[in-house]
Amino acid sequence: MKTAATLEVAPDQIYRDLQHAARQRLTGEKEEPLVMVGTATCGRAAGALDTLAAFKEEIVRRHLSVRVREVGCLGDCYLEPMVIIQKPGYPPFIYGEVDEGKARRLVADFLVNDDPCLEFAMAALEPNDIFPTLADYPRGFYEQRVITELCGIIDPTEIDQYLDHEGYAALARALSMDPGEVVAQVKESKLRGRGGAGFPTGLKWETCRKAPGTPKYVICNADEGDPGAFMDRALLESNPHQVLEGLLIAAYAVGASQGYIYVRAEYPLAVERLKTALDQARQRGLLGENILGSGFSLDLAVFQGSGAFVCGEETALIASLEGRPGIPSHRPPFPAVSGLYGQPTVINNVKTLSYVPHILRQGPDWFRGIGTTDSPGTAVFALAGKVANTGMVEVPMGTTLRRLVFDVGGGIKDGKEFKAVLIGGPSGGCLPETALDLAIDFDSLQQAGAMMGSGGLVVLDADDCMVEIARFFLEFTQKESCGKCTFCRLGTKQMLEILTDITKGRGKPEDLTLLWELAGDVKAGSLCGLGKTAPNPVLSTLRHFRHEYEVHIDEGRCPARMCQDLITYYIVPQKCTKLCNVCVGSCPAEAVYTRPDGIKAINQELCIKCNNCLVTCPPEHQAVVKISPPSPAEGA
Amino acid sequence: MAAKVKITIDGREIEASPGDRLLWAALDSGIYIPHLCGIREENHPPASCRLCFVEIAGMPNPVTSCTQPVTAGMVVYTRSSQVDRLVRRGFQLLLSAYHLRCGECPKNHTCEIRRIAKERGLKLRVKDLRPLDRDLPVDASAGDFVYDPNRCVLCGQCAWACRHRAGVGILGFVRRGMERRIATFGEAPILASGCTRCGECVKACPAGGLTFQKEASG
Amino acid sequence: MPDVENHDELRQVTEILQRHSLEPGNLIPILQEVQEELQYLPREGMRLVGRSLGIPEVDVYSVATFYNQFRLNPPGRNQIKVCLGTACHMMGGYIILDCFERRLNVHEGETTPDREFSLERVACVGCCTLAPVTVVNEKTEGKVTPTRVDGILAGLGFKKDQAAGKVEAEV
Ligand SMILES: Cc1cc2nc3c(=O)[nH]c(=O)nc-3n(C[C@H](O)[C@H](O)[C@H](O)COP(=O)(O)O)c2cc1C
Ligand code: SF4
Ligand code: SF4
Ligand code: FES
Ligand code: FES
Repeated sequence: MKTAATLEVAPDQIYRDLQHAARQRLTGEKEEPLVMVGTATCGRAAGALDTLAAFKEEIVRRHLSVRVREVGCLGDCYLEPMVIIQKPGYPPFIYGEVDEGKARRLVADFLVNDDPCLEFAMAALEPNDIFPTLADYPRGFYEQRVITELCGIIDPTEIDQYLDHEGYAALARALSMDPGEVVAQVKESKLRGRGGAGFPTGLKWETCRKAPGTPKYVICNADEGDPGAFMDRALLESNPHQVLEGLLIAAYAVGASQGYIYVRAEYPLAVERLKTALDQARQRGLLGENILGSGFSLDLAVFQGSGAFVCGEETALIASLEGRPGIPSHRPPFPAVSGLYGQPTVINNVKTLSYVPHILRQGPDWFRGIGTTDSPGTAVFALAGKVANTGMVEVPMGTTLRRLVFDVGGGIKDGKEFKAVLIGGPSGGCLPETALDLAIDFDSLQQAGAMMGSGGLVVLDADDCMVEIARFFLEFTQKESCGKCTFCRLGTKQMLEILTDITKGRGKPEDLTLLWELAGDVKAGSLCGLGKTAPNPVLSTLRHFRHEYEVHIDEGRCPARMCQDLITYYIVPQKCTKLCNVCVGSCPAEAVYTRPDGIKAINQELCIKCNNCLVTCPPEHQAVVKISPPSPAEGA
Repeated sequence: MAAKVKITIDGREIEASPGDRLLWAALDSGIYIPHLCGIREENHPPASCRLCFVEIAGMPNPVTSCTQPVTAGMVVYTRSSQVDRLVRRGFQLLLSAYHLRCGECPKNHTCEIRRIAKERGLKLRVKDLRPLDRDLPVDASAGDFVYDPNRCVLCGQCAWACRHRAGVGILGFVRRGMERRIATFGEAPILASGCTRCGECVKACPAGGLTFQKEASG
Repeated sequence: MPDVENHDELRQVTEILQRHSLEPGNLIPILQEVQEELQYLPREGMRLVGRSLGIPEVDVYSVATFYNQFRLNPPGRNQIKVCLGTACHMMGGYIILDCFERRLNVHEGETTPDREFSLERVACVGCCTLAPVTVVNEKTEGKVTPTRVDGILAGLGFKKDQAAGKVEAEV
C-alpha cells in the first residue's frame, strides 16, 4: 500500500529507500559467522536436510552465535550436499559432499576453533592468499555467470538479500522509462528466447505491445519438461526474485495487468519458494497496485501444471491455464496477438526473463558483448550423463562443445571414451565426436541437426547405445503426445514400434528406410512443436550412427551392450576367485550360484539382467561380463 | 460482407470471400481436398486429421487448408509431390489404427475414408506399417446407433455436433496420446450419460465410428 | 472406479469449491486441491465440480484423464515413483523400475491389491546428477541400486512373500 505522499516520489527514490532498509537489516548479520547449506532439490536428494539439521543441532549444543541459512544451488551438483562457511577473518569457503559427520567436524574445527578444514574445501568464494577460488579451476575459468551468479550464494526466501545485490533496481529503472523504450532496449540487446526456439524476445514484446486489446497477460513458462534439464528449477529455487523482476518488467513493457508463472507439477519446492517470493515482493510494494509509486499495477499468480510435457508448448499451456486439457492449437494466431482468453499474451521462459533485469541494468551493449553476434549472452546447460562434473553451468554462447565437456565438465567419467552428446532433450539431437569443435549457439546447433532446446546436455560414452537412446526419447515423446493429430499420435507410435523391434533384435533391413521416411513425414505433418521435433533424435542418430542400427539388425548384437534383449551376463571362470561370494548375495533373482568346483556361474533362465553382480564383483577380478549377441548357453 | 476475391486453385480461377477458410472455398467450387476434422462453423478449426494439405505459391511448406484464410490472388495447388506424400502417409497412419471391415460397415457407401481413397488413388490395406488397431468395447446402448471406437478416426465431428447442434454435450475427447478417444463422463455407456438419441453425432461422423443400426439391417 | 456416493468426500469437495471463484479457468487448481485432500478424484466429486463451474461433466473427465497427476482411484498407502528421465534411464533407472515391479508384482501405474503400494514412473524430478532417482512418499533419494530397492521396501514394512494376487489398474 502506498500513501499519497510517496506517490510524488520517483520509483527510483522509493527503490533506494527499500534497498537501504534491506541493507540495514543485513549489516548485523555480516559480522557473524554464517553457514549456508544448499537445500535445493538436488541437495536434498543428496541428504542436505540432514546436513542442515546437523549444523543446527551442533551449533545449538555448543551455544555458538552462528547463523545458518538455506541457499539454492551453486550448480556443482556432483558435490552435493554443498556448504559455504563465512567466518570473519577468512574468505568464504565452499565445501562439497558435506554429510552429517563433516558438518559436525566443521563446527568443531572451524567455527569453534580456527581450522577451516581445507582438506575438504573445494574453493574460496573470494580471491585470497590461502586457497584457490572457483575461477582458478577450468570450470570457473570458462564459466561466465550472469543469471546463475547469485544462485547458491543468496537465501532465496529472503528478499533483502536480493535487494542487497541490486535486485529490483532494473525494475525501478524500467518504471521511470517509457514502456516503448524498455521494449527498444530488449530489442537492441538481441536477446533470444531460451525456451527452445530462440525467438527474438524484443520482437515478441513489440508485437504484444502493439496488439489491440485489454487486458494483456504475461506468462513465465516454467514447465521445464525436458526429462534431463533442471536449470529452470535451479533458478526458481535459488533466485526466484530475478525471474519475478524480469516478468514485472515484461508486463510493464507490453502493458499487461495480470501474469502467471506456470510451474511444472514435479517441482514442489520451486512453487513454495516462488510463493514466498511473491508474498515478499507484495509486502515491499514491488508487486500489486501502484508498484514503486509508478502507477503501474500487476498481479501475479503461480499456476501448477499437472504433469504433461506438451503443456510447455505455448498454446497448450494457455489451454491448461484456461482449465482445459493441454492440447495445442494451430498458430497463427500467435499468443502475442491472441493468447490467454483470446487476449495479447507474452510467454517467456524462466531463463529469458532472468536475463531481462541484467540487460536493463547494464545495457544492451554489454549483453551483446557476450556470446556470438546472432546469439548474444550466455547459455545455461544441465550437464548430465557420463561427464565427470555434472551440474548446471553457464558459459558464453559460442563456447565449443569440447571446452564444455572436457574443460568445464572435467571430461568423461572414469576416463572412458567420449562418444556423443545429446543436446536439447527429446526435441534435440546427438552430436558425434566430429562436432566437438562446433561453437554452440542457436543457429549452429540447428544446422547440425540438433537444437538448443531446453539446454539439457547428456554426455554419452562407449557404453551407451545410440539406438536405445533414440528409442528412449521416442518412447517419451510418444507417451507425452497429446494425441490430437494423426502424424504425432500414430507416426511416433509406428516409429517406436520399429525402434523397439530393433533393440530387441527383431529389426528388418527395410525398417531403416521406413523409419527415415516416417521421421521426415512426422516432422512435416505434425501440428505443434512436439510432433515436429520428436523425430530429431532418430534422424540424428541415424545420420551419425547408422552403423549401430545395422549391427543390431544384421548381427543381433548391441555394440554398447546396453539393449537388454541382446546381452547375457556371464562369469568368466578364469577370473572368478571362488573365494568371495558377493555376486551370489547381490543377485535379487538368485540366479548366481556356486558350481561344484567353487566357481560362480549364472543361471540364464533366472537372470533378470539387473547388473548387480557386475557392479559388485570386486574391481581386481572383474569376472562378470556382458556378452552380445546373447548366448543362450552359459559360457560363450 | 466483404466483396469476393479471386483465387486460383489448380489453375482454375474461383471466387471466395476473403477470410474464408480455403478448404471450404475449394469444396464449394467442386474442388476436392481430403478432410475429416474440418468444421465449417468453427472459428478455431482443430486441424487434427492433417489430410487437407495444399501448397500455396510463396509458402515453403504445405499448409492445412482448413486453417488457411483466403486472400486475394492466392495461387493454390491441391496436388504436389510433397502434398501427396503427406496425405498418403497421414491416410495410411489413420488406417493402421482402424478396424477396416467395409463389408460389414453400414457407412460403406457414404464413408469419407473410402472417398479419400478413391479421389487420391490410395489403398485401404496398409502394408508397410505395423497394425495398431485395438479391440476396444463397442457401445450399442443407444439402441438406434452403435459407437465403435475401433473405427473412429478421432476427428471430433460427433462431439462438436453433440455440443453445438444438439445442445447436449455428453461426448468429448478423453485421455491422451494413443489412448485418446471419444467418450462420455467416466466412459459410461452413451445412453446412461444423458443421450437424447437425436442422432446428430451419427450424422456428423465421416467414418465407421458412429453408425445407425437401421443402416446395418437395410 | 468406485461408484458409491461418499458423503464425506462430497462435503470436502463442497468446501474446496467454496474457497474458489467458480470459473472454468479454476478447474485444474480445484481438481488439484481435491486430489490433495482425498488422494484421488472421486467420480461424484468430479460431477459436482463440473456442475458448480457450469461445464459439461465430460470436460472435467477430459481434464482428469489428460494430465498424469490426476488419479481416478485411491492410491496405495505408500507411493513409490521411479524416475525414468534421460539421466536416470541412462544410469539404469529402468532396472530399478523392473526391480520394484518384480518385488511388488505390479506394473508401473498400478497399486498392490492390499492398497499398500502404488508404483509410478516419472520423467525427471530435477536431480539428474544423482541418477537413478526414486521418490518414495515425497522423499527423493539418489543413486538407487537394485539392492537398495529391497532396502526401501523393507523400510516400508514390505515382506517378500507379500506380493501375489491380482492388481487393480489405474487410469
Ligand atoms: C513440446 C514443447 C515443449 C516445450 N516446453 C517448454 C518448456 O518446458 N519451457 C519453455 O520455456 N518453453 C518450452 N517450449 C517452448 C514454448 O512453446 C515457447 O516457445 C517458449 O516458452 C517461449 O519462450 P522464450 O521465447 O522465452 O523461449 C516448448 C515447446 C514445445 C513445442
Ligand atoms: S504434434 Fe503431437 S502434441 Fe502436437 S498437437 Fe499433434 S498430437 Fe498433439
Ligand atoms: S466417432 Fe466418428 S465423428 Fe466421432 S470422432 Fe470418431 S470418427 Fe469422428
Ligand atoms: S480438415 Fe484440416 S486438418 Fe483435418
Ligand atoms: S532424469 Fe531422473 S532426476 Fe532427472
